[in-house]
Amino acid sequence: MMKTYISTIMTVLAAALLFTSCNDYLNEKPKGKKIPATLADYEAFLRDEYDVHRMDVGQSAYLLNDRYLTNSNASYYPMYAANYNWDTSVDRVYYNNSDETTYYAAYSGINYCNLVIENAPTATEAADAQKNEVVAYAKVLRTMHYFLLANYYANTYQSGSAAETLSVPLITSSEVGASYTQVTVKQIYDFMINDLTEAIPYLPDMGTTILHPGKGAAYAMLARIYLQMMDYTNALEYADKALAINDKLIDWNEFYKANKSVIDSESSAQTSQTPLGFNCVESYNFNDGSSSSGARINNMPQWRAKMFEDGDIYFKCNWKLYTVGSETYYRGITTGTINYNGMRTVEQYLIKAECLARDNQLTEAMNVLNTVRKHTVSTDKYESLRASSVSEAIEYIRREKDNLLIYSIVPFADARRYNAEGIYTRVLSKEKDGKTVTLSPSSYMWTFPFPLGAIKNAGNGSITQNVAK
Amino acid sequence: MVKKMRLLLWLITVTLCFATPTLHAEGLQPKNLVTLSLHGESMASALKIVQKQSGWKILYVVDDVKGYTVDANISNATVEEAVAKILSGKPFTYSVKGNFISIAYKATKKQDKTETVVNRLRQISGVIIDESGETLIGASVNVPGSPYGTITGTDGRYELLIPENCNDVQVSYVGMHTSMVKVGRNENINFVMTADHTTIDEVVVTGYQTLSKERSTGSFSKITAEDLQSKRMNTISSLLEGEVAGYNNGLIRGVTTMNATKTPLYVIDGFPVENTKMGAYGSLEEGLPDINVDDIESITVLKDAAAASIYGARAANGVIVITTKHKTSKSNKTDVSFSTTLTWRPYKMYTGNMADSKLVVDLEKEWASQNTNLSGNNAASYAQNLLDYKVYPSAGITSILNYYAGNTSQSDMEQTLTSLSSKGYNYYDQMAKYAKRDPLYQQYNLGIVSNTGKNMFKTDVTYRHDANEDKYSGNQWLGLNLANTTQFTKWLSLDMGAYMKFSQDNAQGYDVMSPGYSVLPYDDLVNSDGSNYTKAQNSYLSTETVNLIKKYGLYNLDITPLDELNLNTTVTKGFNVRAYARLNIELTSWLKYSASFQYERSSYKYEQIADKQSIATRNRVDNFAYDKNGSAVYAIPYGNIFNRRDQYVRTLNFRQQLDFNKTFGNVHNVVAILGTETRDTKIDMHRSQMFNYDTDMLSSGTVDETSLVSGFTGILGNYSYLQTTDLNASYENTNRFVSVYGNASYTYDDRYTVTGSLRWDRSNLWGTSSKFQNKPTWSLGAGWIISKEKWFDAPWVNYLKLRVSDGIGGNVSKDSAPYLVASYYTNYNVGGKYGYVSSRPNSKLSWEKTNTFNVGVDFAVLGNRLNGTLEYYNKKGTDLLASTMGVPTEGYGYSTYTINNGEMNNRGFEVSLKGLILHSQDWRISANTTFGYNKNRVTYVNVKAPVYYLALDYASAYPTIGYEYNAIFGYKWAGLSSNGLPQVYDQKGEITSHQPTNLESLQYQGTTVPKYNGSLGAEISYKNFDLNILFTYAGGHIMRNVNPAFLTCSYSRLGYITNIASASSALAGRWQKAGDEAYTNVPRAIFAESGYSASELYNVYYYSSQNILDADYLKLSNISLSYHIPVSVCRKLSMQNARVQVNVENPCMWTHTDQAKYQLGGYNATNYMVGLFLNF
Repeated sequence: MMKTYISTIMTVLAAALLFTSCNDYLNEKPKGKKIPATLADYEAFLRDEYDVHRMDVGQSAYLLNDRYLTNSNASYYPMYAANYNWDTSVDRVYYNNSDETTYYAAYSGINYCNLVIENAPTATEAADAQKNEVVAYAKVLRTMHYFLLANYYANTYQSGSAAETLSVPLITSSEVGASYTQVTVKQIYDFMINDLTEAIPYLPDMGTTILHPGKGAAYAMLARIYLQMMDYTNALEYADKALAINDKLIDWNEFYKANKSVIDSESSAQTSQTPLGFNCVESYNFNDGSSSSGARINNMPQWRAKMFEDGDIYFKCNWKLYTVGSETYYRGITTGTINYNGMRTVEQYLIKAECLARDNQLTEAMNVLNTVRKHTVSTDKYESLRASSVSEAIEYIRREKDNLLIYSIVPFADARRYNAEGIYTRVLSKEKDGKTVTLSPSSYMWTFPFPLGAIKNAGNGSITQNVAK
Repeated sequence: MVKKMRLLLWLITVTLCFATPTLHAEGLQPKNLVTLSLHGESMASALKIVQKQSGWKILYVVDDVKGYTVDANISNATVEEAVAKILSGKPFTYSVKGNFISIAYKATKKQDKTETVVNRLRQISGVIIDESGETLIGASVNVPGSPYGTITGTDGRYELLIPENCNDVQVSYVGMHTSMVKVGRNENINFVMTADHTTIDEVVVTGYQTLSKERSTGSFSKITAEDLQSKRMNTISSLLEGEVAGYNNGLIRGVTTMNATKTPLYVIDGFPVENTKMGAYGSLEEGLPDINVDDIESITVLKDAAAASIYGARAANGVIVITTKHKTSKSNKTDVSFSTTLTWRPYKMYTGNMADSKLVVDLEKEWASQNTNLSGNNAASYAQNLLDYKVYPSAGITSILNYYAGNTSQSDMEQTLTSLSSKGYNYYDQMAKYAKRDPLYQQYNLGIVSNTGKNMFKTDVTYRHDANEDKYSGNQWLGLNLANTTQFTKWLSLDMGAYMKFSQDNAQGYDVMSPGYSVLPYDDLVNSDGSNYTKAQNSYLSTETVNLIKKYGLYNLDITPLDELNLNTTVTKGFNVRAYARLNIELTSWLKYSASFQYERSSYKYEQIADKQSIATRNRVDNFAYDKNGSAVYAIPYGNIFNRRDQYVRTLNFRQQLDFNKTFGNVHNVVAILGTETRDTKIDMHRSQMFNYDTDMLSSGTVDETSLVSGFTGILGNYSYLQTTDLNASYENTNRFVSVYGNASYTYDDRYTVTGSLRWDRSNLWGTSSKFQNKPTWSLGAGWIISKEKWFDAPWVNYLKLRVSDGIGGNVSKDSAPYLVASYYTNYNVGGKYGYVSSRPNSKLSWEKTNTFNVGVDFAVLGNRLNGTLEYYNKKGTDLLASTMGVPTEGYGYSTYTINNGEMNNRGFEVSLKGLILHSQDWRISANTTFGYNKNRVTYVNVKAPVYYLALDYASAYPTIGYEYNAIFGYKWAGLSSNGLPQVYDQKGEITSHQPTNLESLQYQGTTVPKYNGSLGAEISYKNFDLNILFTYAGGHIMRNVNPAFLTCSYSRLGYITNIASASSALAGRWQKAGDEAYTNVPRAIFAESGYSASELYNVYYYSSQNILDADYLKLSNISLSYHIPVSVCRKLSMQNARVQVNVENPCMWTHTDQAKYQLGGYNATNYMVGLFLNF
């Protein structure tokens, strides 16, 4: 009798335990909160400009003196001043607690890309082709962020040492506490090329929106990467592929005509709407600078303005001399959300020109360069350029690239490439407080220290500074 | 001998009579026959079996039968036969009375001995009753040191042979004071026993099981209904105040969490009962559980891991276990109790910290004299401009400006100012008179318990009616508790019960303190002719606005405060049901199975009607009016605005449990439980708003939702819009738990006990990472009753127990989820929606883990006259949900989010003592005290305030390692500057009047949670009078002065202006001339117009150590005087007992400063209660 009871009870208890281990019961998802499930839910992350499409190159623009540093910022941010004035007495590692945006925004973008890459394949309400396309967009965007990081915080690619030199942390998971490794330069470049190669088959020529990088952007990115690796054959091949998808250029002469009254006015108070915005004809994709909201194009110190060729209408359209208090500089007079760091046709033209020049096809190289110059040099002052040597060709091409891709990672990455190559190097030099200060091609300053916030709060991995100070 | 008497624990099975059937049927004796086979069974359990099988009651002295075993085969025997067989060959006799069998120890040898000395005996007899007149069954009457003794029978009668020369007999009964009774030469001695409140309560109730206190190893505090008699049965928290060491302000043993639930878990009659509700915007709010407070039988507070760990993921904050009354002392009897209390609180507004009319007028004059705009050529136009824009609508400044604008003469102005300054606290006086009332709280309780032997039924009804100080605020509720226990067979019983509560809360929406314009103490609520004062729209709105209102014919915005009182009232109606059923099956005498189910459902209907005549509605309608072709279009139609919220809470709880309790070989006792539990709580709420609502037709006007949501600039110049969720919104929250638990305790020889518990919880609230999901909570404990050791030789120590425990309790955040949650908005640049992560996926989300180590000593000394408990604990919280800085490499460098990585310690000790100071026939004086010390320290967080003002304003969002979680930081005060400006030290130790912005300049000021708190109570009884006094105190903590002696500023369309209306009375002692800085720390009056950075200086002063108040307090929290109506009188009125009681609550509070007393609620807190308590 009693035994029957006990066995009955035990059966009931066991049944209850079985029932309660049912995971579905506990996987009740909260309501009233949006838990991404469909592909559209994940795809929407790629339209989030603040988190995914910001790339800040503030310190490289200061180091190159592309961007004017105001006196007040110079006194408030010792690290900015050190970069701007090539001051080796300042420990940039110590002071790097106020300029984290480059690192933080890039890894934010990477995190969102990781999130999409991890989840889009299992998202609902979409066909495989659509899922593959969304994953491919995320891979291209992730590559763009890694390229910025690898060329900002670590040594540039040199085939001899790339496998031994540490680059930046490689993180591929969006999980809280995801582990990562600070990989070598070779590993990060292999990773980027692999991602782009995997992505390309699933991409349309141009993406769903300008925030979605299509094949054009992917080819353009490959051209940029191979150029950085000094692989001119591949760089040329991909630049051509990119230009086959889009080869339009902004005609700055046309822009000048349309905005003449603003550009020619005495004061710099008025601005014209930038042609480098979301509708920019030369964009493969769009990527902001440090801010995702509209503003004037950055200001430029006077000595840097001299590096534009005479009659550069692009310069005239964008900057005007301005004095406020004791400070005089070229102030930006175009405004809007500017595609500082997206992939653009003009870069591909100039990559192509350099590859041709390096292959000693000087005429072809100059033809490509002049195609660009026709759009950027005032019609009345335009003359075709000719080069008699590779060195001269590169000189011309580099000037155009530094100017047209100003405030992107490109001029800085190029400078480091030339420095590493050691042939077409350039010593930066300027007057500062009555003294001549210089930045040599071999200076440690060409690599920026990781921000202290990232080192101190490293998460599930560790980070070693690639530069001593 | 005293010790021996304590050990005479009579098995009072009578009190458990509802649990075993007695089958009284018109004189028919039960014919239950007994069959049993015993081999080496202890005599006590043999008798228990007989009792169970027969349904008879068998009374015996536990100590006497201890050590005797029985070998017998009995079949189909009558009870008497069975008992005779069990006792055969042992030194016991038995007697039969009704269906009671009393067993007495013969002690033959001793008796022989004594007989040689004392050869003459005489008989005495009598009845023993308790204070309520109930006869006591099984009370012991004996002659100490002799074998002569007996127990009372079913009628409470005893008969006893005592030695001829014996003068005293001792009377004892569990839960009563053991007394020596003078016998004299009387033969008939009746005796009234009094309840003993100082004995250690013998059982503790954990909600899962009822344990012998002696065999528990955990830290418990138990309060019984008798302990609470002196208090007003108001709320659970007011009952616990001062009664439980370590309990303060709703928290047990300090703050143990940062972001999860802070309140203890409440358990009523075995089930967790949570009163979680949603706020207007879906946030979760924890409330005290619904219960008829008068119906509480006992409250047990479980403080350490050994006590609380069985509650698993929700044990870390401690558990408060409440049992309701459900027993009568006797079968076939109905007990009726009735009580009523009436509580009155005289209303008085405390104005001591507010500037009076004179000070306000002085400040207004000073404002004018410091305002450089009022000198020079432009003074008149400036003054007229301020008047036109009603930037300063106060009567004083208006009269000053009228003079400067040339509208009135200087003497007019001075006359006005003089008359204003003489008005004292006019507004607040009138407010007390016309807008407030003395709160009155009525409470009625009726309890009925009926026991028919097989069935016990009880009902308890409480009705409360509270009238609050606001004339249209009050609430009433009716609580009904029903419980029934039926014993179907010897082994099967069913408990069922339901609690229902109907409530209605009315809340006056209009606050006379902020009537819609800023009030000054000289303002009026009532005109001199007795009519209600109206603040005309042109006296507080700009001329421009008033002209627009007139031009477009908008609704006028005059405010008549006294007419507004009932125009914006919120009514919340609640209906709560909690029903349970529990099936108990006794499988064997040592194994029980129970299955229980509880269903809770609460619904709340919240309705707020802003009457169309109310200023709130007129204001809203006017602000949502826009211009169309020169005339006004009302986007919100004029009419009543109706806000409604409907909320439903549903909880299911299902539990199955096996209880094991067996003693092996007399000395090895094992008690264990094993069970599973499933709990599911769902809260859903819907909110809606309707305009132009007709309360009779129940219809509402239509609105153009699209234009309301996109917004527009209205006629009055404001940009007006509604969120879509302002019109309609729904919220839902689901919590599910599945648990398996068990515990076991082993006791050897009633001296040594070890306990252990384990529990696994799984929930939808946390992630799937196996690291956390399958991690159990556990506890281990050990207890040693030193006083039971043979070698223990301290006769003055009656009881001494040492216990140690260690283990883990959990805590959860009910609105956390492991899922990725995203927010979506339109991307206007490229089209489509863009999304961002609003909370990261967190598969490692878990319950918080708090490890508690506890050492306690329980003792009773000096004949149990002094007993108490000492405890030391160390609570170590890990995996606490804490704000943490996002990892930059993970892409969250600029974010903070909550993650299980915080660590916090609470260390402390507690003392509780109860002492009987004097006890005589008429007098009884006892005292008790509790003391708790708690030191809280954050030991790890990964977050740091990014900027100084966040560290100041949101101190608890950015806790600092090494300090208390509730620590606050501020600037070190450096006195006043030579021109009367506040000064503090910056991070370099330099004195400055500018607000230091460096985090290092912020210094630790203290914590807002008391470091120690305690109580001191005394109970003095004289004959039928009881006087109780309870003091409570807390200290070691601080708070910021909420009423700093500094004028605030606000932004108006004419720039920054000064708010004189809210001025502190401390400004009277302000710096006024050079040199004053030597005498005062109150800065000069800084006006927005005086050229200083007023808001920065305000921050310098407000966040300085000068504005930190010591929050220590001592208060007399309760005095009660009760008179017990004599039993003889009660009898005539067919009552068992009756009591009249008068209480005074919170009559006095002592603090360091008046401001501290104000902030601690020390003013206007005295309640006067009169109550009547009857038992039939």
